[in-house]
Amino acid sequence: MDETVAEFIRRTVLKIPMSEVMTVLKAWNFLSESQLQTLNLRQRKDSLAQSVVLLCEEKCASLSDAALLDIVCTQVHRHQKIWDVYQMSKGPGEDLDLFDIEQFKSSFKKILERALKNVTVSFRDAEENAVWIRVAWGTQYTKPNQYKPTYVVYYSHTPYAFTSSSTLRSNIPLLGQALTVASKHHQIVKMDLRSRYLDSLKAIVFKQYNQNFEIHNPTTPLQERSLGLDINTDSRIIHENAVEKDKVQRITQETFGDYPQPRLEFAQYKLETKFKSDLNGGILADREEPLRCLIKFSSPHLLEALKSLAPAGIADAPLSPLLTCIPSRGMNYFKIRDK
Amino acid sequence: MFLYGWSAKHVGSGGAGFEGEDGGKVHRIRGGLSERRGATGGPRDVWGPGAACLPGFLGGLWESAMEPANASRPDGEPHGGVLAHLERLETQVNRSRTKSAERQRAQAEGSALGARIQKLRRLRDELRAEVQRRRATVKASTDSVQPDQTAGMSEQDVLERRWEHAKAILQAYRFTGLSGRLTSRGVCVRISTAFEEHLLESYFVELVIQKPLRIHRHSVPAFIPLEKMAAQYLQSDIRHFLFSLCEQLNAYAGRKFQADRLQGDFAAFLTGPLQRNALCSLLSFTYRADSGPSVAFSARLLYEDLTVTLPTRVTVACEGTEALSRSWEHQRASHETLFSTKPLHQVFASFAREGEKLDMSLIS
Repeated sequence: MDETVAEFIRRTVLKIPMSEVMTVLKAWNFLSESQLQTLNLRQRKDSLAQSVVLLCEEKCASLSDAALLDIVCTQVHRHQKIWDVYQMSKGPGEDLDLFDIEQFKSSFKKILERALKNVTVSFRDAEENAVWIRVAWGTQYTKPNQYKPTYVVYYSHTPYAFTSSSTLRSNIPLLGQALTVASKHHQIVKMDLRSRYLDSLKAIVFKQYNQNFEIHNPTTPLQERSLGLDINTDSRIIHENAVEKDKVQRITQETFGDYPQPRLEFAQYKLETKFKSDLNGGILADREEPLRCLIKFSSPHLLEALKSLAPAGIADAPLSPLLTCIPSRGMNYFKIRDK
Repeated sequence: MFLYGWSAKHVGSGGAGFEGEDGGKVHRIRGGLSERRGATGGPRDVWGPGAACLPGFLGGLWESAMEPANASRPDGEPHGGVLAHLERLETQVNRSRTKSAERQRAQAEGSALGARIQKLRRLRDELRAEVQRRRATVKASTDSVQPDQTAGMSEQDVLERRWEHAKAILQAYRFTGLSGRLTSRGVCVRISTAFEEHLLESYFVELVIQKPLRIHRHSVPAFIPLEKMAAQYLQSDIRHFLFSLCEQLNAYAGRKFQADRLQGDFAAFLTGPLQRNALCSLLSFTYRADSGPSVAFSARLLYEDLTVTLPTRVTVACEGTEALSRSWEHQRASHETLFSTKPLHQVFASFAREGEKLDMSLIS
């Protein structure tokens, strides 16, 4: 086994937390059961990694096997990367594609290998017609850098692909082109949507975040519900703002719905607008150029935070449509200009 | 103004005039009054609120005019002049008026309470009659030899039966494949897919009834071309849209069912993994028609028409490069026709049956 492959496997195993080493190795499906049982999970991580490397040497692991291990690790820790969303489109009139996954994989690999001689491409099929692609980039003269790969998750029969943001930006156009041609589309466009949570991005893009169709009475008036809660409290306490509270709850429910919101960490608004003020005069009012400013909202769970703004009394309901349109329009990077 | 001065005095003493929405004011004034009484303790206290109403310079005038009247009261009637007499008459009239008003109020309250008593008595009689009636029916049902079904059941049973019935009707509607219910904004259509007497998954499409009819949300998988169909048919011909969506979903569910059955029930026949795409419109696998030494075939099924569950193009080839003997060639061709005409899992079921027949013939 190659020294570089051994080192790569060692470093990959070191990145996995101790509690998940066994699950990852089992999912990798390269080492046999008996080999896995010989591993001692109580030792220090360095020695554990070393023993894994020894086992892989017994089985003569190749670079593609090591790349598969890397994919499995990333699949388990997908929230450690930031994912961008790309949308492809077909030309008009092109209808049916009998999507052949093998043909897609071979076509994708061929395109990349033709452009850059040194590139490692690996595939792993995942649930729900998704295919995970790992590309390690090299140049005409250098070997591929296995430690800075780009991952692509492509959902077949859909025009959407999710890529992990990579530091090697120059290869992104080539990646897009390979993806487009291999999947028989014409164009690829980057959407203004970015997050760590791949599943939430998927839910937003495929509009799968509101899947509860079996509720038969979604219109029970809120007063009935709140009356049910008030029975337990003292009847001598009168809530003065009950009407407003109900109204805010109703509006929040209409905008955000009852379902768990998809998880995003930030929303960014780039404003390029002219200064508007009611008072005449002032230095800024005469300025012809638009002002530029950047507003960024961050939160561990942005949409849930926005949903709780109005009921907490911090903002007026209904919230600005710029905030509430994030899942429906599928974007969290906005550029606002004067019309 | 004269009378006003008089009435203000009475108001001050009795406090009746100030009764109204805010009892607090009366309390405050009375409180002030008692304070003043404590402080000075003279007839001037009675003027408390009255003096507040009158302008300051008149206050002294009134006080001086009223002094003799106040002085006369503890002694008796003949003292004082006409004014005092008038005053006494007025107090008598007012007292009798208030008394009659109070009497009237008491009478009204009494009659209201009487009416309420009557109403409650009537309600009690009705409830008693109801209890009697129910006891009688229960007794009748337990006494009778052949208990009548509807009378024997309690109300809860009747309601439960009705609820089950309603659920069964809803279920029956779902069996038709296309059902819907009204929502607050529009309609939610439920497409229940089925294939060959098996009920498969249901998919929902919620439509908002607005001027451009639009889809609010749906549970159709991403690889079904819903947006394309909606762009074509939703605005112009909603029936066409729903039926074509139904067709495609049913066909997809049928193909998926066949592929799942092949992978699950007949995995023994497959020599390699079953390759399929998301729409199950392309299936490729290698198999043996029977266990034991026989040629392995590789089949490739293409479903170019997304609305059917049978493949449009089938290619069966023989694994390996040696030339096929005529019997294998014959078998290959027959397999091709089988795959084109019968559902996948039934083809393999027939292979299994033939294998059993062969075994039986070998044994016997």
